[in-house]
Parts: sequence; C-alpha cells; structure tokens
Amino acid sequence: MKKICLLILSVLTFANVAVADINKDAAVQMVKNVTKEGIEQIINSNSSVEEKDRVFRKLFTENLDLDFIGKYVLGRYWRTATPAQKKEFIELYKEFNVKTWSKRFDEFKGKEFIFDGTTPANNPNQVFVNTSVPMQEGKPASVKWRVNDVNGKLKIIDIIIENVSLAQTARNEYTSFIAKSPKGVEGLLENLRAKIK
Amino acid sequence: MKARIFKYLFLCYFVVLSGCATSTENGEKTSALESYNHAMFKFNHAVEKGVIRPVAKGYRVVTNEYVRQRVTNFFDNLEEPVSMANHMLQGEFHESGENFARFVINTTLGGLGLYDVAAKAGLDKNPTGFDKTMATWGVPDGPYVILPILGPSTPRAATGWVADGYSAPAYWVAQGSADDDADLIYLGVSSLKYLNKYAENIKVIESLEEGSVDYYEAMKSAYLQNRAKINAGGKKAVEQAPDYDFDMDDED
Repeated sequence: MKKICLLILSVLTFANVAVADINKDAAVQMVKNVTKEGIEQIINSNSSVEEKDRVFRKLFTENLDLDFIGKYVLGRYWRTATPAQKKEFIELYKEFNVKTWSKRFDEFKGKEFIFDGTTPANNPNQVFVNTSVPMQEGKPASVKWRVNDVNGKLKIIDIIIENVSLAQTARNEYTSFIAKSPKGVEGLLENLRAKIK
Repeated sequence: MKARIFKYLFLCYFVVLSGCATSTENGEKTSALESYNHAMFKFNHAVEKGVIRPVAKGYRVVTNEYVRQRVTNFFDNLEEPVSMANHMLQGEFHESGENFARFVINTTLGGLGLYDVAAKAGLDKNPTGFDKTMATWGVPDGPYVILPILGPSTPRAATGWVADGYSAPAYWVAQGSADDDADLIYLGVSSLKYLNKYAENIKVIESLEEGSVDYYEAMKSAYLQNRAKINAGGKKAVEQAPDYDFDMDDED
C-alpha cells in the first residue's frame, strides 16, 4: 500500500513538474515571438500607420486572452451583465485598447526586451515571463508578462510594468466606474462607445 | 522669505495627517478622505491641464532631449547624498558607498553632475529616500491621499518627501547664503526639477488619461501598486510580480 501511494505521489509530482516545464519554456518563446513581431513589424517598421494598426490589432487579439481579461476587469459585474453586454464589452475593450496603444508605438522605438527567466504564479497553469527594457539612463524598466495555459494554448492575461498590473489597474478603474454610474454596466459601455469613435 | 518652502511642506504634511486621522476610525470617515481626495484630484487636474501642461509643452519646445537629460542628471546628482545617507540608515552600506562614489565622480568628471560618467563605469543610479528608510524600519504607509499640486501620496511618502527636502545639501547651501531670497531661488530651482520630470513624461501622462474611463481610479490603482514594492522594503519584493488569483469573487 505504501509503495502504491509513493508511486502515485511520484507520478503526480513528475506530471506536475513536466507540465510546468512545458508551460515555462513555451511561454517564454511565445512572449519572445510577440515582442519580436511587435518591434520588427510595428515599432521599427517604416510601414503606414494603417498597416501598423492592422498588424497590432492582429498581434493583440491573437496573443491576449481578451475574454479572460474582460471577465477579470469587470469583476463582480460580469455576473450581472447580460450576454449581449458581455459580448459588446469584450469588443469595445479590445477596440479601446488597440486605439490607446496604437498611439504609443513611438515611445518604444529603439527599445529591446531582455529576457530574464520566469517566476511561478500561484496558479500552476500560469507563469510570469520576466523581461526588462533598458532605458536611456538608469535602471532598466521591468516588464512581466503573465501567461496562461489553457489546454496547451498559451495566451497573455496580464502585463506588469514596474510592478503595476494593467489588468488590476483596469479592474479597479472599470468596477469603480460602474459602481458610480447610475446606468451601471450600460454606463460603461456608453463611455467606451464614445471613446472609440 | 526664509522658510517659505517649509511652511508649504508643513501645510501639506498637516493635510496628510488630517487625512490619516480621519481615515482610521470608521468607514464613514474613510469616505470623507475619499471625498477630499476626489476634490483635490479635480483641483490638481485643473491646475495640471491649465498651467503645468502648457508650461511643460513650452519647455519641451525650447529644450531638446539632450538638454532635458542634462537637467535630469544634474538634479539626480544633487540627490545622491540623500540616497547615500538613507542607504546607510537602511543598513545598505555597499549601496551607500556607491552613492558617494557616484556623487564624487559625477560632480568632478561629470561636470557638476550634468553627465552620468559613473554609470559608464558600472555604477548605476540607485536612488532611495527617507520613505524607503521608514518602510525598512516597519513604519506603516497609511492611507492614500492627494496632496495639493504634488498629487498622489501617503502620510509616510509625504514625511519622506519633507525629510528628503530638509536633508538635501542644496537646501542647506541655499539657507547658508546671504541672499534673502534664497528660499525663493531654491523653490524655483526645485520647480525646474519637477517641470523637467513632467515634460519628460508628458506623452505617457496624456496617453494614460486618454486610455482611462476613470482617471482618478487608474492613477490611484497604479500609484498604490507601485508603492507595494517600497512597502515590502526589500529588493526581493522588487523582483517579484504582484501575484493574485484571477478570481471574480474578489473584493473590487
């Protein structure tokens, strides 16, 4: 009996380590591809603004788990939102982020990402990929990518710049907006619709 | 004219302490602090958009990145002795020595700090202040509070800011001069430091505002998350990413 228990334990441990290892390496590679593509095809590219926006939109939607992030940033309001509101929120959130980040490409011109291993997250299906961006002077800026593994499919679910989580910031901001808005989730949707026009 | 700056500093400090006192008793009073914060944020935002931002944009027109970097280096160098003292108070003697070496090298070979020669020799900037020292000693941060003009802060951050201001050699040089307007000159020179910093980050600030649905909450959230690494007090905390479950049942 003791031997069987030990066997089960060792199989479980091995399985856990094996899965974590695959996630870690694959996650690093995935983030490397995203940053490489972003720098080469968008930031340092001489293509038109429209073309840069198109590539960014593709990169953004393919590599970020917007359904996951959308649910997280709406917090407890996700449960009270109607299916139509949820669907529209995800779409508006995507458009709003694409619009916001498209304006910031120049800030990253000439920058490069240096990869510095991974840090485990409290969820075994997730891992932080650690990178840093050298600044003109002083210490490099820390950028951590939180990657989630759902059935072998890797997606970025958060980016933490100098200890500030974009998902956490958005969640605080959006839930506060909804709490204050007399129209609740609909008020947020109206605001986002106006912003992306 | 003397001590005009510190009258303002003490006023800020009083505001912070008032906020602190009201925040710790009950939920109702915490809301009073939040109401104050919102009102002060609105005031600061109006001043920022109406005065500081246009001035900073003008400053960017008359200066290029090279000049702004020299200004940044000059003021950063003046703060090296403050970092040196605080690293010592935090028990980080090696870092304290590096601050001293950086100050000596950059003041002499770096043209009064305009050029960061020390960084090229492998001595990177490693600033710290009394706020971090207090964090190391276990002094609690206190509630989030918006200071007039200065913006987001906490009682401990504001105390650290005042202490750093008092301990800056530039302040004592100004005090030691025979000029009656020494304080005013110091205030003006210090304003240039903040204007330069603001001008350097103006695009990020504008895009943060544009990308927000609730600018107050976005700033508050980012500020408090960033302070978490100072509050943890150690290098280890800086290396760690904030780890939380993506649990929708969490309190928002």
